[in-house]
Amino acid sequence: MMTTPSPAQVTPRSASLWGALLGAIGVGAIAGLVLAVAADAGVRSAFDASLGDDRPSAIMAVLDGFGIILPVFVLGFGVIALRLASGVARRDVSATRSARDAATWLALLAAVVTVARLLQGTPWLAATPSPLDAVVGGALGPFLAASVAALLSRGLARAARAPDLREEPLVKREARTAWSLLVPALLILFLVAARPLETTIITSFTDKVFASDEVPSFVGLAHYRQLLTLSFVEVPCRLADDGTCARNAQGAIRWEPLPRELLVEGYRTAWNWNLPLITAPDRAVAVNALDHVWIRSIWVTLVFTVSSVSLELLLGLFIALTVHSEFRGRGAMRAVMLIPWAIPTVVSARLWELMLKDTTAGVLNRGLMLVGAIETPQSWLTTPALQLPSAIMIDVWKTSPFMALLLLAGLQVIPKELYESARVDGASRFREFVSITLPLLRPAIAVALIFRTLDALRVFDLLNVLFGRSLHSVSTYNYQVLINNQQAGYASAVGVLIFFLIFGFAVAYVRFLGVNRS
Amino acid sequence: MSGAGWKTTLRRLPFYLVVALIVVYALTPFIWALSTSFKTEDDLFGAARLFPRDPTTKNYTYVLGDAGFMSSLLNSVIVAGGSSLTALTAGSLAAYALGRLRFRGKTPMLYAVLAMTMFPQISILSGLYLTVRELNIYGTQAAMLFAYPLFTLPFSTWVLTSFFRGLPREIEEAAIVDGATTAQILARILLPLTVPALVTTGLLTFIVSWNEYLLARSFTVTNPGAQTVPVAMAQFAGIVEQQEPIAEIMAAAMIVTLPLVALVLVFQQRIAAGLTAGSVKG
Repeated sequence: MMTTPSPAQVTPRSASLWGALLGAIGVGAIAGLVLAVAADAGVRSAFDASLGDDRPSAIMAVLDGFGIILPVFVLGFGVIALRLASGVARRDVSATRSARDAATWLALLAAVVTVARLLQGTPWLAATPSPLDAVVGGALGPFLAASVAALLSRGLARAARAPDLREEPLVKREARTAWSLLVPALLILFLVAARPLETTIITSFTDKVFASDEVPSFVGLAHYRQLLTLSFVEVPCRLADDGTCARNAQGAIRWEPLPRELLVEGYRTAWNWNLPLITAPDRAVAVNALDHVWIRSIWVTLVFTVSSVSLELLLGLFIALTVHSEFRGRGAMRAVMLIPWAIPTVVSARLWELMLKDTTAGVLNRGLMLVGAIETPQSWLTTPALQLPSAIMIDVWKTSPFMALLLLAGLQVIPKELYESARVDGASRFREFVSITLPLLRPAIAVALIFRTLDALRVFDLLNVLFGRSLHSVSTYNYQVLINNQQAGYASAVGVLIFFLIFGFAVAYVRFLGVNRS
Repeated sequence: MSGAGWKTTLRRLPFYLVVALIVVYALTPFIWALSTSFKTEDDLFGAARLFPRDPTTKNYTYVLGDAGFMSSLLNSVIVAGGSSLTALTAGSLAAYALGRLRFRGKTPMLYAVLAMTMFPQISILSGLYLTVRELNIYGTQAAMLFAYPLFTLPFSTWVLTSFFRGLPREIEEAAIVDGATTAQILARILLPLTVPALVTTGLLTFIVSWNEYLLARSFTVTNPGAQTVPVAMAQFAGIVEQQEPIAEIMAAAMIVTLPLVALVLVFQQRIAAGLTAGSVKG
């Protein structure tokens, strides 16, 4: 039995003190959330018997006032703080160090908030600067929080150095370091992204009207049903006087309209597909939808994305390989190749609009007529068959530099020694490209493809400026539904479906290009 | 020049032709914009010609005299610079974790970061608007500094993760044996080795934030003093009333593209840095 207190026993006592403080913060967070919910006017009205049947449901009131993410975030924070506190008290080395890291981040965050609050007295952070007393009052809370967190971090750091702690297992150390490094990104994810995303998802189940204060009602999956319902029927072609299929001015076959009962149900035809081998030459499969504009916009977006991204990949790779080889003026070339990307889309779309004018004032028409490729000026932006190709051409011009620069960075980190030894072995340039460059460039290609595809699937500025409402991508359709039709609920459902479309592409890329493999 | 020199140049002629082709492809529309920026209104509606009939600088005078446009340049520098710094800092820390450390929940984390940028901007606008209002930063540059990580952070995180992952494992194992801390490994070993990726990511996020329109427009409706360049450009009234100020916009485009080109010229040497020192022979 040891009777004399050793210095090592002093530390555990202070460690449990810091653990208790941490625990108190955790309890405080949870209690604060519960009190805030209980004090919320909307939630109180849900339990106000005097309102009778007019009172909102308690769940909707909580969702309306707090959303899902914030309560989950605060609860998670509280639970994690409590768990770490118990770990600190048990003298668990990983928990103590994690708690120290968490306290340090907390102190930093509170310090940033303090500075931001102070800056709200200046025109930099507020359109109308707050008066001095409000600024000081607003900064006081975060300042106190920062001080407490800094103290806590120091105390826990001392506790983590106590000699009675066991060595931390390497696996735990790595995981702890990883989560600590992820804190800033996670904070941004929660503070910036979570709220808009959850608002979109919640709104998509309601009939909310854009920019209106009226409390929306819950409509369940109605918007999704409207957006996703399809029906396929076979339709015959319209007969001309001579008994053959009638054709329109562009030479396309004209099809009979939908059966009346489908029209009454609200179906409209998105396309008529005359499929060789499957349908007879004088019959077509009519793809009908309750919202045929939306279905068409998906197809337009897919065609746009697949063609422009694959062209950009080829062109970008070609440019990157060229700029990667050594020649005089390479530096200037790198700057020049980025110019199309550097011009804001709202401007470059106007520029192309000017260049593609449907008279001889458009330089493309003038040029093509001078070399004799066309006889009369073409309307590149209003002829349906030319619209999408024009948009793809502009997008390829504009974003190939993005692809090229990313691939160029990928080329730079391929060790030169690999090429030298390949050359010693007498490998041809082509062989080098296939067996060294391409495999080692795969991660860079994958990331470039993912981000280009995400952007192309959300293409908005370009099509909005060039075509207005005559050719919709999914994003411009989303815009029209929200701004022009004011249907915020329906627009949110469109947004959520676009999210899933993009998510599908992202997963496919990660799977097939092996972004996750090391 | 000696005969050998001529020969090399001749042999490389096809290569230089390819370079010239790329330059022409990238620059033709830009040159058209340049020419348009010197044109008068009448010239714009005549048959297209490369050289303006009677070149004028009045479009430039108009743009440079527009106080809103000039202050928007400063705003754009702050917003674009700030958001690419945020993206690079938070992104490289996260990328170190995602690219080089072993822990559970890595794949969900990668997807969560990417999911930030999967919604069309128009549909997250109202949610963002609420947050920005509550933070009392609506109508300021801070609103954009707050919102832009939505698209810059996923990009920087993914690019840097893929580059960190590509580095051989041995380099940091040696450092760990030497007793280096996480911060030291990141700052002294990994970041210097990925300078090309860092510079590339920085440039691309800078340009994306510089060019962003929809959010910037929505956040500065009430306070034109906080407008960024694309918003200010879209709001030119123009010299001639009731007519799209296309020549003025092109003049402004020339003025804003120059700093970006200069930026790329300054940083482009660093793109070629990185592994050339040969410090990672496994």
